[in-house]
Amino acid sequence: MATTLADRAAQTGRAPRALRPDREVGGGRRIGSHVFLLLLVVYFVLPLWWLLVASTKSNSGLFVGDGGPLWFNSEFSLLDNLRGLGTHNGGIYWRWLGNSFLYAFAGGIGATVLSILAGYGFAKYRFRGRTFAFALLLGSVMVPLTALVIPTFVLLSKFDLVNTVWAVILPSLLSPLGVYLMRVYTQDAVPDEMLDAARVDGAGELRVFFQVALPLLRPAIVTVLLLTVVGTWNNFFLPLAMLQDPDLLPVTVGLNGWQALSNAGAGGEQVWNLITTGAFVSILPLIVAFLALQRYWQGGLSHGSVK
Amino acid sequence: MTTTTAAPVRPAPVRATRRRRTEIDSRRQRWGWLFVGPFAIVFATFLIAPLGYAFWMSLRLKTLATGERFVGLENYVKAFSDEIFLRGLLRVAGFAAVMVPVQILVALVAALVLDTLTTRLSKFSRLMIFVPYAVPAVIGALMWGFLYSPRFGPAADLFGLVGLDAPNFLAPGTVFGSLVNIVTWQWAGYYMIVIYAALRSVDPSIYEAARIDGATGRQIALRIKVPMISSSMVMVVVFSLIGTLQFFTEPQVLRSIAQGAIPVDYTPNMYAYSLAFSYSQFNYASTIAFALGVVVFIGSYLFLYLTRKQSGLK
Amino acid sequence: MRTTRRTRGRVAVPALLAMSLLAACGSGGDGGSAGSTDAAGGEEASCTNTITKTDAQQVTVWAWYPAFADVVDLFNETHDDVQVCWTNAGQGNDEYTKFSTAIEAGSGAPDVIMLESEVISSFAIRDALVDLSQYGADEVEDDYTAGAWKDVSSGDAVYGIPVDGGPMGMLYRQDIFDQYGVAVPTTWDEFATAAQALKDAGFEGYITDFPTNGRAFNQALFAQAGSAPWTYDNAEPTEVGITANDEGAKKVLEYWDGLIEDGVVGTEDAFTTDYNTHLVDGTYATYLAAAWGPGYLSGLADADSDAVWRAAPLPQWDASSPVQVNWGGSTFAVTSQSEIPEAAATVAKEIFGTEEAWKIGIEKGALFPLWKPILESDYFRDLEYPFFGGQQINKDVFLDAAAGYEGFTFSPFQNYAYDQQTTVLFDMVENGTSAGDALDTLQETLVTYGKEQGFTVSE
Repeated sequence: MATTLADRAAQTGRAPRALRPDREVGGGRRIGSHVFLLLLVVYFVLPLWWLLVASTKSNSGLFVGDGGPLWFNSEFSLLDNLRGLGTHNGGIYWRWLGNSFLYAFAGGIGATVLSILAGYGFAKYRFRGRTFAFALLLGSVMVPLTALVIPTFVLLSKFDLVNTVWAVILPSLLSPLGVYLMRVYTQDAVPDEMLDAARVDGAGELRVFFQVALPLLRPAIVTVLLLTVVGTWNNFFLPLAMLQDPDLLPVTVGLNGWQALSNAGAGGEQVWNLITTGAFVSILPLIVAFLALQRYWQGGLSHGSVK
Repeated sequence: MTTTTAAPVRPAPVRATRRRRTEIDSRRQRWGWLFVGPFAIVFATFLIAPLGYAFWMSLRLKTLATGERFVGLENYVKAFSDEIFLRGLLRVAGFAAVMVPVQILVALVAALVLDTLTTRLSKFSRLMIFVPYAVPAVIGALMWGFLYSPRFGPAADLFGLVGLDAPNFLAPGTVFGSLVNIVTWQWAGYYMIVIYAALRSVDPSIYEAARIDGATGRQIALRIKVPMISSSMVMVVVFSLIGTLQFFTEPQVLRSIAQGAIPVDYTPNMYAYSLAFSYSQFNYASTIAFALGVVVFIGSYLFLYLTRKQSGLK
Repeated sequence: MRTTRRTRGRVAVPALLAMSLLAACGSGGDGGSAGSTDAAGGEEASCTNTITKTDAQQVTVWAWYPAFADVVDLFNETHDDVQVCWTNAGQGNDEYTKFSTAIEAGSGAPDVIMLESEVISSFAIRDALVDLSQYGADEVEDDYTAGAWKDVSSGDAVYGIPVDGGPMGMLYRQDIFDQYGVAVPTTWDEFATAAQALKDAGFEGYITDFPTNGRAFNQALFAQAGSAPWTYDNAEPTEVGITANDEGAKKVLEYWDGLIEDGVVGTEDAFTTDYNTHLVDGTYATYLAAAWGPGYLSGLADADSDAVWRAAPLPQWDASSPVQVNWGGSTFAVTSQSEIPEAAATVAKEIFGTEEAWKIGIEKGALFPLWKPILESDYFRDLEYPFFGGQQINKDVFLDAAAGYEGFTFSPFQNYAYDQQTTVLFDMVENGTSAGDALDTLQETLVTYGKEQGFTVSE
């Protein structure tokens, strides 16, 4: 049963239902459902639409444009704004974007690898101290990283690591939630019988893991990877506290700094157009990646869902 | 369901003595630690050590005018009689009580509706509802800050259509709702996808019987579908609780345009942050961080332990 | 530069992991500052500007002045032995947070840092700043006004070199006053009358805004009526006097509370996009501003092309004995993490110590100089500002305001004091607490905090 379940989860999730005729909802209800969905779409997309429109406006156009908040001005400044991103503060924006990628992928991939290994270890081995270690893990799943940032900062500063890329990447490797998810999934999707069979055939523990278990875990890996990459990409508190050098900031902290500069009275520079354009550009990579890779993550997210 | 009972499927080789098996087991045991080891190191370094360090810092006190000294639990006595900290805790509890159900309700209803449809529009909607998840919280909060603005946001126009004045979204009475809205916007789509994916992997033949018995769509949704996906629901609750307990970014960013309504100590996280970095009270900040960490640690363990059946941990 | 950092990080990681395991076992460490070795020497910093004379000693500088890049280039062109490596680490509080963080970490601070004079005591008490009197600060004392020098010194110690100031004046919309036939006020009594008159005449905006988060702005208004909430001297760093609810503060706050209750002044938060726009779009008939205010306004000038802006002195409580106050302005201080304090002091003294630098600062950055050679020059006095229809606003308003400013004593925990001030003012505006009660609460909070922080507090 576990095998079939894993197989099914590994598919896109749509497959088992493709044959099912969709007749439970009649015509009137269907229209109602669609109207409801459209309202939801408007709610979820409206802010992004606003951002798209705002990124085409000049600094003063944002304040006194003829298009209003939700429509384009007659003046179209997107290209100027993009050019501005390349020149303001020496084009530091693109550097921030690069940093965000570095942190998200180094932290996210690292955290995922650690989660896979630890989840497998917890699920498939009965080693001494396992129960206690896992209880610790359960307790830490919801501990806010924000509560750890301050002591982590003081600790890292003793090792001269604050204000380096490591100050962001290393703490991002910690993902108790990832381990928890991997354990639940491994337990469910990797049958002991298969592992034992491979062992009897003479495979070592590492080969058992790589050749038998890992392929079965693919959907869960996608889930955890998505979670950790997006989590690091979105991280704000950690880099805010750890980094002082503007060249090391991720785009989230950098743009927030521009906003503070623009809001401040004393000698602040007004770069609202660069903030909106920068924000818009910065969310494009993830959105594009989500749309392009939906086949993979949508299937992955269904893991461990049937009991 | 996976069999976890001890009996191996293949009979153990005849020659295997008890002693031999113990050896294998202990060698296997070591492998367990090898797999868990890398994570354990990170866990010790970035969770246990900071918490331990926070605890150590919290036993000491260094003020602006005096040197550092050992004060024992004095900081804790202060924290748990500190109105600001307690108010922050209550506020986060309030956010959890409102934000978690709201997000999950929106996600669940959307997922149940999507599950009954296979049209192009439904596929499109599914993606669009999910897209805000790709927007970092800082940027989401910046955007909503503009949208809440009476001058730049569309609220004035939209309310104007029905002849009303737009409310001030950033007043003390409304800012709570405004924050709930930002978080819901950001996360509901992700939860919706998780629930939706779970619904799609339920064997449809399960519904057939109910339908033949004359159950309505709504009855099927509530009585069959929701119980079938309880493990995903547990996950979603865990996700949203984590999000709520971390609550920092959104109020911190929104604060730049609503300093009166969102004071520096709005949530315990913000309080600890400003204590440490604006008032340089690292000892007291560590006390707050550690107290918060321990409270959540216990709560997290209890919750996950009690839901171990639903989540498949057994 | 980046390579050095990475390499060091790589070496440090295993050490960190090992050490943290020890820490987890409860050994803890001794709280010493391990990381002071790499401090701020400049070799690892990344500069926003390009340094061509790579052999020269590099001084790292944090500053957020507009048009500062040109000033830095000028300095570097005219100096061969020392070069400035400039970073914009954020404005005001953002920068202070980073500085504070670096102090706690024991490394990461620049050599020279731009600070508003109001936070100097707060950093001096943490031993974060170098006393510049040992590096020849006294030589340049005569280049600054007495009030400006008082703001950067405490007893004999000098913690910063003044750069720009914020003497206050009143920027107003001539067209609005004309349209509604109201005279431009010169005293606060006239100001209140004008506020009501504008409203009665049908003006839909407010005469001005009284932001609860004005921080230094609110405090400057209090000071104009004689409020002196702090007594503090770095020579006696553990003693502080607090009188946040003195007569002057109460008088001023009651005045504004009255205007707010009459509905003739706005109460929106300052420093937000909405507020900034309202400043220029005719919502407010006046902008009670510091001398850097005009530069800020003209950045948004195209918001209302019909506006006619003029500058006038800040209204007075007693026209016969005017009191001048200051809002903001900044200084360059040398951090105690600097390993080259002498070179750093040179930069602090000289970067804004030439006419060329100041012409950039004034014309591109809209700064108000505290350096006397330019402050007292004909050039600056007679400068005409197109935004004000060619008015010579320095001659008319700000030079007198700067000359009359006598200095102000700030708190060793100014940031906390401002945050609490915002809280009680917000409470007054939102919940109708009386002005007197608000200030009494503020006083009580600050005294409690001062005692908690180990100060001997006198009230």
